[in-house]
Amino acid sequence: MKSKKLISLLCVAAMTATMLTGCGGASDSASGTASTSGSSSSATNTGNSGDSSAASDKEAMTFEIFDVAANYQGIQTGWFAKVVKDRFNIELNIIAPQVAGDAIYQTRASSGNLGDILILESGQFKECVEAGLVKDISSDIWNYSNLAGYKDQIDMLNNSLEGNDGKTYGIPTEMMNTSPTSYSQDVIYSSPLLRWDLYKELGCPDIADLDGLLDVLDQMMKNHPTNDAGDACYPLSLWSDWDGGDGMLGIANVVQLTTWYGEKIKGSTILKPDGTFIPLTDKDGSYYKMLKFLYNANQRGLVDPDSATQDWNSACAKMSAGQVYLMWYSWQVGFWNSTDRLKDGTAFIFTPVADQTYYTDADSYYGSGRVFAVGSQVDDAKYQRIMEFLDWYASPEGLMFQHDGIEGFNYEKGSDGRLVQINSNALMDNLPVPEEWGGAGYNDGNNAINQWIVSANSVNPTTGETYSVNYWSTYKEETMTDMKKEWAEKFGAAEPVDYMKANNKLVISPNVSVSLPTDSADISVIRNQCNETVCDYSWRMIYASDDAAFDALWDEMSNCLDGFGFQDLVKFDKEKHQIELDAKNAVAK
Amino acid sequence: MKEFFSNKRKVRGFKEFLYILPFLILVLVFSYYPLYGWVYAFFDYKPPFPLSWEKFVGLKWFRSMVENEVKLKQLLMVLRNTFAMSGISLFFSWFPMIFAVFLNEIKCKPFQKVVQTVTTLPNFISWVLVYSIAYSIFNSTGVVNTIGMALGLFDTPQMFLQSADHIWFKMWLWLTWKNAGWSAIMYLAAISGIDESLIEAAKVDGASRMQIIWHITIPSILPTYFVLVMLNLANFLSNGMEQYFVFQNAFNKDSIQVLDLYVYNLAMGSGGYSLSTAISILKSVVSIILLCVTNKISKLVRGEGFI
Repeated sequence: MKSKKLISLLCVAAMTATMLTGCGGASDSASGTASTSGSSSSATNTGNSGDSSAASDKEAMTFEIFDVAANYQGIQTGWFAKVVKDRFNIELNIIAPQVAGDAIYQTRASSGNLGDILILESGQFKECVEAGLVKDISSDIWNYSNLAGYKDQIDMLNNSLEGNDGKTYGIPTEMMNTSPTSYSQDVIYSSPLLRWDLYKELGCPDIADLDGLLDVLDQMMKNHPTNDAGDACYPLSLWSDWDGGDGMLGIANVVQLTTWYGEKIKGSTILKPDGTFIPLTDKDGSYYKMLKFLYNANQRGLVDPDSATQDWNSACAKMSAGQVYLMWYSWQVGFWNSTDRLKDGTAFIFTPVADQTYYTDADSYYGSGRVFAVGSQVDDAKYQRIMEFLDWYASPEGLMFQHDGIEGFNYEKGSDGRLVQINSNALMDNLPVPEEWGGAGYNDGNNAINQWIVSANSVNPTTGETYSVNYWSTYKEETMTDMKKEWAEKFGAAEPVDYMKANNKLVISPNVSVSLPTDSADISVIRNQCNETVCDYSWRMIYASDDAAFDALWDEMSNCLDGFGFQDLVKFDKEKHQIELDAKNAVAK
Repeated sequence: MKEFFSNKRKVRGFKEFLYILPFLILVLVFSYYPLYGWVYAFFDYKPPFPLSWEKFVGLKWFRSMVENEVKLKQLLMVLRNTFAMSGISLFFSWFPMIFAVFLNEIKCKPFQKVVQTVTTLPNFISWVLVYSIAYSIFNSTGVVNTIGMALGLFDTPQMFLQSADHIWFKMWLWLTWKNAGWSAIMYLAAISGIDESLIEAAKVDGASRMQIIWHITIPSILPTYFVLVMLNLANFLSNGMEQYFVFQNAFNKDSIQVLDLYVYNLAMGSGGYSLSTAISILKSVVSIILLCVTNKISKLVRGEGFI
């Protein structure tokens, strides 16, 4: 009896002990494995850097990648895992705040170790350097030839850090080798995109302004109230789950449209083409204008009634089913346009509206804003392996894998030596990859880091063409369809951007790399409350019953915003973005 | 020391103390140690910097909650929603009890089991899935709109999820659909504990079924009901956030945003951690007051408290 008591007591004690250690153990065990694998490799690593084929003599390692761009959390699998394993004998363990929630940034940061490789937003990068979470890589980075090729851009980023005396901490993402003021793509991020067949059916009318656009959409809906499957079509289908993203105030669907009038929303302010800032709540600004556009569309019954309650996935399903007649993101057409549809002329394409000028950010010469960095807790042996990996990641070979996939599976060299895309549906249909390249589905094994040091629009020095398949000469020939020819004939330009440039309808904002002040605790609360207010009222305004109700809601919103400290936020944002604007003006000169 | 060990009563007391020690430690670790987090309410906290780098601001965040009309209005609105929705739940808290009583009256055992299983199952469905079910049923091409339009009840699709009409009651309906079967389990257990002889005696005296329910079943399970109600009262302000989080949209937010959701929306949007912590502290304080008040009432009404 007594021994039983003793045993049960011991059990309880043991249970408690495990529960208690379970609490604080997570971060310890993670850093523990990292340091042991690091120290064991230091013995075997003989410093044969640059020789990427000799992977097998290197100690196996796992890199923890803290990655704000990733949509996948866990160990990289499939063909890309094999590419990395064969060259470096490493595994990539991706930690994704987009999957795990933003709180993981806070908890990992407070433990003092974010990860081995860090991919951060620019504001986070600045804070992490201040908080000592980022390693100083100044002494080694220029020994790596591929990274050193971007010295100009890397220096620009690091010199913009406040109080930095020539040290290097980070590498920008999506750098290009063109120039900070040029624009090399054929389409811009946001512009009105219409279905060519429906537009042609109406006789390709010239569209003067937003009302004209609504007239055209109205006609399209009258002619085709349902898609081929018989489901109801609405020219516009909106979604609410991206609202307030990317540091912008307001609902995502309106924010994107504001670039149609040459204006760009910067936090709580709108940057006008003449270089001045006005508050978002200014009735002369494009936020009001585009919100009114959506309201007018809804008045005419052109907006999907589910817009306010559906999420992106539901909206996206409607786009793929052809239930939507207006798109505005350049990538959005990917859910409808296919090679076949381009051939039958039923694809979406840019359709100019006469009174619009379009805003676009220039080539991301200095980077797109995010930053690659190395964690401060990394030991020397691992550090060297990380730098080798990053150098490869920025090399033409690495970039071909990231942007184009596997030679022989995704592309091949034609008889004339030019590259030709094959299996173009590999990503969309998750085609099975042959065992020799790592097996599994292509999309499942695709690079889960989901962020590149060099942009796909850069030119590959070994082929003389861009990394992006879309600009390969072979691809252009294949997609030169009747529809494209008709479009070119009607608008007198080969590509949308050519049309905009020729008609003086494109505002290119130079690419700069500056570090901007981050929100204080006060400002971040104000920004959050204002954003929620703007989003809530915006949706209600789109569905407002009449013009008077619309304006009443707008005024109510403005009052409410002032109560949350909107004026302080505008002041802060003006000062913040003026720094960026000054840098842009300096580049443009 | 020697004296302590020679005193059998003290040794026994110490041994018994050791028995509960693990649980005391658990309570300390999981219920009291987290209170240390309250310290964030008194700083301008912003990750990733450690707290020691941040500025101590005293009661700034508490004051900022009520510093102007708009903020005060919002806080009051959130409190109103919290009280309203908890109030409705409280007002209808007899529902699972009555449900259990009637369920118990079903004489066909297989049917009773089926009903019980079907009503219990929704408890295990997450709120996110409940919302997808709701969306599929109530969207513009969902089953309700399709049938409604086919029958000519309305000619354009009705936006049920977007309207704020009767939203509190609708939320209670969803909650009840999800929870009723699960909550009834406790009462079913209490009913099975009722002394058979009481019921048999009543039957001999010629009591009808309703009379048995009214005079025997319900009075026997009332104590269980009261204890559960009291416990719920302490949670009056914590009516959870998942349900309201998934059902919220721009149109119903004014009526649906409860305290927990408000704290979440503030903190997770862009890191208003300090302000959210301050609100949580207030919530805890109000909860303690509510608990003490109900305990007092219980003492007055029933002659005994429950803490």
